[in-house]
Amino acid sequence: MTRHFVGFDLGTTNSAAAVFDGEQVTVVRNRQGGVLTPSVVRINAKGVATVGARARGFLDSDPANTHGGFKRLMGTRKGLRFAAAGVERLPEELAAEVLRSLRGDVADQFGFAPTHAVVTVPALFEVPQSHATVKAAKLAGLEHVELLQEPVASALAAGWDRTEAGWWLVYDLGGGTFDVTLLESREGLLRVVGHDGDNFLGGRDVDAALVDWIVRDQGLGLRREDAAHAEALRRLTAAAEEAKIELSRANEAAIALPAALLVDGDAIEVDCVLDRGTAERLALPLIDRSIDRCLALLRAHGLDASALRHVVLVGGPTAMPALRARIAERLGVDPAEGLDPMTLVVRGAALHACAALGSASPGPGASPAPSPSAAARNVLLKFPAMTTDPTPPVLGRCLAKPAPAEVRLERVDGGFTSDWTPVDAEGAFFFLAELQPRRANTFRLEGRDRDGRAVTLEPSTATIVHGVTIGDPPLARTIGVALASGGVRVYFERGAPLPARRTFVHHTVEAALPGAGVALRIPVVQGDFDEAHLCRLVGAIEIDGGALDRTLPSGTPVEVTLSLDRGGNLSAQAYVPAIDEAFESVAHLLVPEATPEVLEKAVAELHERLEALRRDAFRLQLPSMVADVDRAEAELARCRAGTTATRGGDEDAGQKARRDLLELEAAVTALEAARRWPELEGDAREAMVWATSWMSSHGTPAESRLLEDAVAQLEQALAQRNPRLLQLQSRHVRRLGSAAFHRWPGAWGSMFEYAASRVHEATDLRRAAEVVAQGRAAQGRGDRDGVRAATEQLWEMLPSDVRTRARSHRSDVR
Amino acid sequence: MDPLADNPFFVLDLTPACTAIEVERQAAKLLAMLELGLAAAGTHASPLGRRPRTPEKVREAAAALRDPARRAAFEPWATAPAGAAPSAPGAPWPEAFAALTWWR
Ligand SMILES: Nc1ncnc2c1ncn2[C@@H]1O[C@H](COP(=O)(O)OP(=O)(O)OP(=O)(O)O)[C@@H](O)[C@H]1O
Ligand SMILES: [Mg+2]
Repeated sequence: MTRHFVGFDLGTTNSAAAVFDGEQVTVVRNRQGGVLTPSVVRINAKGVATVGARARGFLDSDPANTHGGFKRLMGTRKGLRFAAAGVERLPEELAAEVLRSLRGDVADQFGFAPTHAVVTVPALFEVPQSHATVKAAKLAGLEHVELLQEPVASALAAGWDRTEAGWWLVYDLGGGTFDVTLLESREGLLRVVGHDGDNFLGGRDVDAALVDWIVRDQGLGLRREDAAHAEALRRLTAAAEEAKIELSRANEAAIALPAALLVDGDAIEVDCVLDRGTAERLALPLIDRSIDRCLALLRAHGLDASALRHVVLVGGPTAMPALRARIAERLGVDPAEGLDPMTLVVRGAALHACAALGSASPGPGASPAPSPSAAARNVLLKFPAMTTDPTPPVLGRCLAKPAPAEVRLERVDGGFTSDWTPVDAEGAFFFLAELQPRRANTFRLEGRDRDGRAVTLEPSTATIVHGVTIGDPPLARTIGVALASGGVRVYFERGAPLPARRTFVHHTVEAALPGAGVALRIPVVQGDFDEAHLCRLVGAIEIDGGALDRTLPSGTPVEVTLSLDRGGNLSAQAYVPAIDEAFESVAHLLVPEATPEVLEKAVAELHERLEALRRDAFRLQLPSMVADVDRAEAELARCRAGTTATRGGDEDAGQKARRDLLELEAAVTALEAARRWPELEGDAREAMVWATSWMSSHGTPAESRLLEDAVAQLEQALAQRNPRLLQLQSRHVRRLGSAAFHRWPGAWGSMFEYAASRVHEATDLRRAAEVVAQGRAAQGRGDRDGVRAATEQLWEMLPSDVRTRARSHRSDVR
Repeated sequence: MDPLADNPFFVLDLTPACTAIEVERQAAKLLAMLELGLAAAGTHASPLGRRPRTPEKVREAAAALRDPARRAAFEPWATAPAGAAPSAPGAPWPEAFAALTWWR
């Protein structure tokens, strides 16, 4: 029985599908016989969609009814118009067309249309973009999809037949984005160590550089900011791209446009020749920028290029001989041979489908399971579907009573049979299965009763592929809930292994009223800062007043659960015990629209923040910060150019500028954090003193040792001037101090006094006064639990001030 | 991750002598046991007494031990005898930290 696992690579330029049967990966051919399907959709006047190479042919001749590049718009509400049919489609709907077409190709070649699959996404995709990808997959008829980061997919595929230990880089230069991933292979296990990348570096930038050169060389007088020149530039860009691709093989390529360009009413014939040397000279600065990021990533992990064992190249532009040569020169390793840069991602996706979906019940694509006989006992079987471990665990539990007395596991090729193993009191059993290397190994489970009579079990087989295990991909940025206080309750720390799920109890800070409108808002943020306004808002749970049948008083507990799947797809739930209602309506934020007005405002704001930083840098006499500000200003100038191009009608340039601005904003925020360094340092030292003094009087020896350790790390963060690490370690130190503090018998009393001193700020003064009285009475009786209860109640009634609320993405909880 | 109570070696029931493959094997086994709802997987020993074990903790522990630098940082703590000390009296109220910073 062979099961087939399916993966899709949904690329900006090209998409692909692959199928893994447990031993071989096959890249699926489309109806034109190719393995790459251009991510282009055309819809004709009758509303019929065409996808792939045939649609791509119309990109030039019929742009009003043909669209490509929509991956860059995923997660936006930007409808793309198809004029002849008079319809508008969202980016995710167009992505769905591509997936549907690929799914059809799988059906043609393998005889089944997959319902379960893995779809890859860029490592730096934001939550709304991942969410849109899942929606696209569902629209295309996939019932269950797992997302996988593209670099992890490449690494899996590259690691499939390379087992030497060492460090590697996966270098992925696509149409518009650059991603580099550092991996370590040890004892046959692959581990993602870190990522870096540039959201605005790719083959398109090479095309743009070539176009600029042609415009100059031929004296064409075309300007990107002029909407009237957009059409001419688009055609020129298409011609430049063709020439560039030709130059990967030939020494010269003609730039010849089939029809004259119309520029300001004049028809201009373009006919020139581009030689490889010129193209390489124009591409080199872009290539070097990508290699700089590789070196920065290595440095961030204390390595230099000499540590590298392999560099794996992925993506169309890596076909350029100059790029390969430059990488070999600057990184000192020859790019790994024998790996197809265009299909590595999709191969990895198919391999991962086995690991991620393989232990689920066999979907279509598996031979039909023999119909269970009436006497069969149901068992739950758990095993890794794909592993490097030559002797992986196989566990099971019998649900039906009576459970068999003993069970045994046998490999169907007869090469391994376990002993008869007793089933324990919980109905559970455990084996270590022996695998044939690099194979799909199928095992049969047998059971017998106390008298040695065979008992049929269902399911009775398990297939385990011996292959590569890749550690859970780490979370790229911390995720948490913004609190009304302006802080963040961290749910998942950056680097946390995915998938992950966590629940915390929050309390409302204000009464939530039934009726129209949002009664309660719980913002979900992503970022590595303690302050909510510095983090990005990536979604929110909004509870509608209409869903409430009565007022929820302030202080009402709300249990919030956040879950992330492997591909970073976030889901959030809020449960309000008081009304026994769960709310799952996460308002997934859309990627904001990139109108020129919004972008220009963002540019202006960043400019102001940078100027403020520059003044501070001079005042505090920090030359290194002046240099950083200069660098950021240079980036900002590039964003400004992109914004100008948006005025010329280029929506994609707009999205690109938007992302550039986000990255820049993060960089500026980091600079601001550096400027706040004295404040952070002060906080950290205060935490250290506070925790140490409480530890010395009330800590256990074990805690004291932990504190020493944490203090040492905090000192290190201070020495390195690393704000993120400093905040993390301060948190750790405070947590330890707090543990000791609470062992002090007077702890609750003092907290009570503090809360009581602020009682005039309480939301409900009368009740607060009563609680203070109860607390005092409890203190009089020496009733510590009573004091604690009163403190907690008071704390719930104290508001956070309006200013901090505004900086918390309008959170209604704490 | 608390290096004492939630030391990854304790979470995974392993000693610092274990190999990388053993970490993967044990994590896979414990995740399966948790999914099957087996009682033995529900808690783990630690010097502060038995602690709850969740799938997230198992994944985090495995991730920590995969990284040689982080693994090394946890090794010294893992030699403390697990289960030796009784759990601390009046274990700190988990919200205390939040309360304190909120009041600062
Ligand atoms: N032989 C070649 N030489 C140079 N560049 C090439 C060659 N073939 C393709 N390209 C360029 O590669 C880019 C597309 O690469 P690729 O198909 O890897 O991107 P993608 O996967 O669609 O994008 P992304 O990964 O960013 O979503 C285009 O810019 C194209 O011009
Ligand atoms: Mg790609």
